[in-house]
Amino acid sequence: MKSPQFSQTLPKQTRRAFLRSSSALIALPFLESFGTKAFAASPQVALAPKRMMFLSFGWGPTKESWYPDINTTGADYILPAGLKGLSRHQKDITIIQNLTNQFSTEAHWGSTFYLTGANRYGEPGQSFHNSISADQVAAGVLGKETRFTSIQLGCENAEDSGHGPGLSMAWNAQGKPMAGLNSPVTAFHKLFADDQTPLEQRQAMLQQKRSVLDTVMENARSMNRDLSKTDTDKIDEYFQSIRDIEVRLAKEEQWLDVPKRHPKEPIQEPTGEIVGYEEVMLMYDIMVAAMQVDATRVLTYRQPVDSFIRSLGATITGHNMSHYTNGTRRSVAEMRDEKQTELLAYLIDKLKASKEPDGSSLFDNVSLSYGSNIESIHYLKNCPAIITGGGAGVKHGRHLVMKDEKTPLCNLWLSLLQGTGIKADSHGDSNGVIEELFA
Amino acid sequence: MKTIRTILLLASLCLGSGAFATEAPIALMPEKHFEFLNQYCLDCHDSVEPEGEANLEDLPFNMTTLQTAELWQKVLNVLNSGEMPPEDETQPEAGSKTEFLDDLSHQLVTARKILSDSGGVITMRRLNRREYENTLEDLLGVEVNASELPKDASPGEFDTVGASLFFSSDQFEQYLNIARRVLDETIVSPQKPKLFREKREVEEVATKLAMTRYTKLFEANERAAQWRKDETQSPTDFGFIDSSRVKFEEGQFNGQGPAYRWYLDQPETKTGAVFYVATPGAYVDKTSLPEKAAPGRYLLRVRVAAFADAPSHRTFLEYGTIEKGAQQGEIAVLGHRKVSGTLENPEILEIPITITSSTSREIGIRERQPNSRDAARYALKLAKKRGEPTTEPALWIDWVEWEGPLTEKWPTQSYQQIFFKGPNAKQTESYAAEIIERFAQRAFRIQEPSKSFLDKLVSLFNSRRVLGDSFEEALKESLAVVLASPAFLYLREPNPDDHKRELSDLELAVRLSYFLWSAPPDEKLYKAARSGKLGNPAELKRQTNRMLDDPKALEFIKGFTHQWLNLDRLEFFQFNFELYPEFDDSILMSARNEVYHTFETLLNENRSIGDLLKSDYVVINDVLADYYDIEGVEGHEFRKVKLPRNHVRGGLLGTTAFLAMGSDGERSSPVERGAWVMRKLLNDPPPPAPANVPQLSRFEDELLPARALQVAHMEEPQCAQCHRKIDPIGYGLQNFDAAGLWRDQERVETDEKKVKETIKFHPIDPSGTLPDGTPFANYFDLRDRVAEHEADFAQGFTEALIEYGLGRPYGFTDYDLAEAILAQARSSKYSTPTFIHALVQSDLFRQK
Repeated sequence: MKSPQFSQTLPKQTRRAFLRSSSALIALPFLESFGTKAFAASPQVALAPKRMMFLSFGWGPTKESWYPDINTTGADYILPAGLKGLSRHQKDITIIQNLTNQFSTEAHWGSTFYLTGANRYGEPGQSFHNSISADQVAAGVLGKETRFTSIQLGCENAEDSGHGPGLSMAWNAQGKPMAGLNSPVTAFHKLFADDQTPLEQRQAMLQQKRSVLDTVMENARSMNRDLSKTDTDKIDEYFQSIRDIEVRLAKEEQWLDVPKRHPKEPIQEPTGEIVGYEEVMLMYDIMVAAMQVDATRVLTYRQPVDSFIRSLGATITGHNMSHYTNGTRRSVAEMRDEKQTELLAYLIDKLKASKEPDGSSLFDNVSLSYGSNIESIHYLKNCPAIITGGGAGVKHGRHLVMKDEKTPLCNLWLSLLQGTGIKADSHGDSNGVIEELFA
Repeated sequence: MKTIRTILLLASLCLGSGAFATEAPIALMPEKHFEFLNQYCLDCHDSVEPEGEANLEDLPFNMTTLQTAELWQKVLNVLNSGEMPPEDETQPEAGSKTEFLDDLSHQLVTARKILSDSGGVITMRRLNRREYENTLEDLLGVEVNASELPKDASPGEFDTVGASLFFSSDQFEQYLNIARRVLDETIVSPQKPKLFREKREVEEVATKLAMTRYTKLFEANERAAQWRKDETQSPTDFGFIDSSRVKFEEGQFNGQGPAYRWYLDQPETKTGAVFYVATPGAYVDKTSLPEKAAPGRYLLRVRVAAFADAPSHRTFLEYGTIEKGAQQGEIAVLGHRKVSGTLENPEILEIPITITSSTSREIGIRERQPNSRDAARYALKLAKKRGEPTTEPALWIDWVEWEGPLTEKWPTQSYQQIFFKGPNAKQTESYAAEIIERFAQRAFRIQEPSKSFLDKLVSLFNSRRVLGDSFEEALKESLAVVLASPAFLYLREPNPDDHKRELSDLELAVRLSYFLWSAPPDEKLYKAARSGKLGNPAELKRQTNRMLDDPKALEFIKGFTHQWLNLDRLEFFQFNFELYPEFDDSILMSARNEVYHTFETLLNENRSIGDLLKSDYVVINDVLADYYDIEGVEGHEFRKVKLPRNHVRGGLLGTTAFLAMGSDGERSSPVERGAWVMRKLLNDPPPPAPANVPQLSRFEDELLPARALQVAHMEEPQCAQCHRKIDPIGYGLQNFDAAGLWRDQERVETDEKKVKETIKFHPIDPSGTLPDGTPFANYFDLRDRVAEHEADFAQGFTEALIEYGLGRPYGFTDYDLAEAILAQARSSKYSTPTFIHALVQSDLFRQK
């Protein structure tokens, strides 16, 4: 997999920092120069900024009642039962069929390769390989001016919900998993909780954190001597992690004296007891609020399915449901589709209602995708894909069925990235953009 | 290069020779299949104008590159999904398609293995979560729960495989936080925590709770009755919003009232508590500790009795923590105890419970039961059906008592190891520097912390002091940094050259202790290494035996067997409590432990690994004995129990763990069971289940026995290629239901409301064949036939052991090693410890 090109948007040494993982490049003085200009721009902009949201729901939806009839394309299509809840937004959404990740062979992995399109066996000598996810490509550009470069949300026990290996939907430039905030409580605290500590003390703590990193780097350097090639690659992961934290600290410093902003309509502070349906709703509230205060411009969310259906009264597991047959399993599967759709419609309502300073709405400037790598049961061919929002310039209100049944899902990611103004020539296994989206 | 084009040319010359045999492993499609490709694929996918850019004419039959494997994978995918050949083209005959798919899927598995083969390289390994917890525990003397760390194992690999153990920036911060938390527990005030001792009469809570609920229901029902006298009155005058609220309250009273009334009427509830079931869930006695209770070992004493007529499976007490968000009646089960006291003569149970800084202080005890509020509701529903107000009482508790933390020595040994100069030492910078240096040396095992690293740790300490931290607090930060440093987190074995080198004795000690203990070496092992003796085969054997005898070897047993036998599947499905009310968490935990302790017995008693295929004993505890209907087993500890002749248990095939994994929590699955037997016992793993194979739903509304359902697998070549081998093994296990209990009939049920029949019973035909065609008549016969595959089983076990022990996937470079281990094992009749000794003594184990 080639790394995407975003040379025009980042200064040269920055790109090198993101793309290279050689331990020789790690040097603190360089990071200081990093901190000065690139992130100093004031978050105030005349035009509302572009944003991207990627939602993944793990286990596939019900084949028969979620996908529109492939013979009814264009604007005149009927929303099937599982998507009925989106009726009021029908002209603002696009459903796309026949998108696929050609290398996917794992029927329980709904999110691992969803945004990357990688081939698990793509690296000789390794039994697992992944590459950068679309949201992280976006974050490299859209994340520069916000407190958080990107935000990954998730749920507890994600494998029970059909997401597969990984820590969130996001995979970094080295193809390594990125951690997520797995409950509304942690997400809320990270995004909105104020640090009451006085500024000088926080500056001292930041300095302390740097000393900690400096100390472990000292140890890592002495570890690095006399290692074999593969061992050097391993210790490089450690170096890379420390470098990532240094970049994060440099950004933290930029924002140290800027208090966290709170949304105009304050959202309820979550508690640990909220699971399932309410949890998804609250995460949606948090995502919208995070964008309202411009805390971040790139968000992903790996949604709960297992606890979701249980919160709706089901007593079977998400995995049992996904292998639906007639009877309880099918009715749970259908109920799950219906309730998830209801929540998506709720999210779109909120995005539309949320006004930006320039008069547009969040909806007008966001590019939102909603789907999974799993079609349904254990099928991986036609990945469920709904997109909405005005951020990528997509002409909505249509049902598109790709002529080529194996159109790379990465073509969609590439189209959305380019539509959002991000320079990328390719992504994953993409072989072009989906022209129909914009026509 | 062998491609179909060259083969077609060659075919006319030497058809049938088929000699491609070479020493090195290859993934080669047998050339008998070229005709298949030629006939059904090449018309479109040739080299001249390949459809879909898939040129199969030049596709090598020997899969030596990723590109070739990828193209073959595509061929497999489109055949599996039925996309190719297109509907309007000639379709292959089922038999040849089955054979083609069978070979292709197996060869692809081999190709993936060859292409991801590390060539015998052992990659430097980060401590996995288990090892990290044990290592911290070893250093700091407190139980560590690091469950917030990400899962380690890559799918299908052991968590000791270094190449797959990643590191991320979030993890670094988690390591720091966990270390701080655990250090908080170790470095506490030199004052010994006060002993907490509290006895509670449980009726004060339980009876009061039942009374409050009953009174509320009763009072509302009384008001409802008043209103009923004249329904023209306004319901609001009686405290109801409207008449439907009246009806609701009446329903509540009729539903739950009798259960509470019954409870309050029992003489036993005047002096204690009876576990009862009402609509809000099952009653759990909350015997919680104070929120701020100091971490440590506690004793929970319970005075308890079983009712004389209680069925034996209900005379077990479960205890566990009550986690955030738990519903009424739900606990995270820590263990169980059999209750043998009677109402006339109750007994006092003593249950040790360890509380760490992250353990919930809310502890609950209850009658053993499925862990779900819905299960309690269902139990109540059943009782009502029988015309009883609630479930018959089974256990009575008089009182509970807490005592703890129980500390023999204070300050603890770990504390004294850190503050080695005792309580009166002067808190100087130089003392801090000494503390840090000693700690770093211990933490880094065999690596010397550098001077500049130690200096930085001391200046960290100093800067904390400047910020106002106490001596201890400031030290904690420096020690936490040690525990997030790479020399602590990685098992380093330097080797700058391309060829292998011998490990030093110290390196060998570390490798050995992480193999057998998942923890660092102890003093004895370090001593043996320092004195230069460990490399001596006799000493190495002596140390290995000593380590296997140590309780810490259970870490190896659990870590290894759990992953080797894929026991994680036990948690994949939730069991239907309506069908399997006895399959609860106590059984689930014991089922897993049965496998661990059986393996432990093989090690301790020098038994053959073949005992796992068939044995005349089981290793069980009281609750499993009750489940298996085996008499005379008292106590929750596991022990070896001799079985009568021809018992269904004995060997992995008869364990609850295996049988339950071979189900979806509702029905037994001949497929899952058969595939597991092929993978683990016969060492003949079927290829992974392919995605995109059309789901068979033709029979889904019919209440057919599992065997009849599998018939559909034989109709499509893409299913038959594997299922013709897998399913028939599973038929032999159909006498066990989903929860692993013996049955003579298969019960099939549906909850589809539209059908007339919802339950049907089918006779079981347990006959079948092994993949090599060997027939068997029933379960006992199957077990005997499988037991004949001891050599295959030993081969699979050896490969797994090599992967786990060396920390890299079993590769083709390991053939000789495996054969050497097996040769020794054979000469000792497959005695289990022999495998371990042979691996430990091997060159590969002692080289980097």
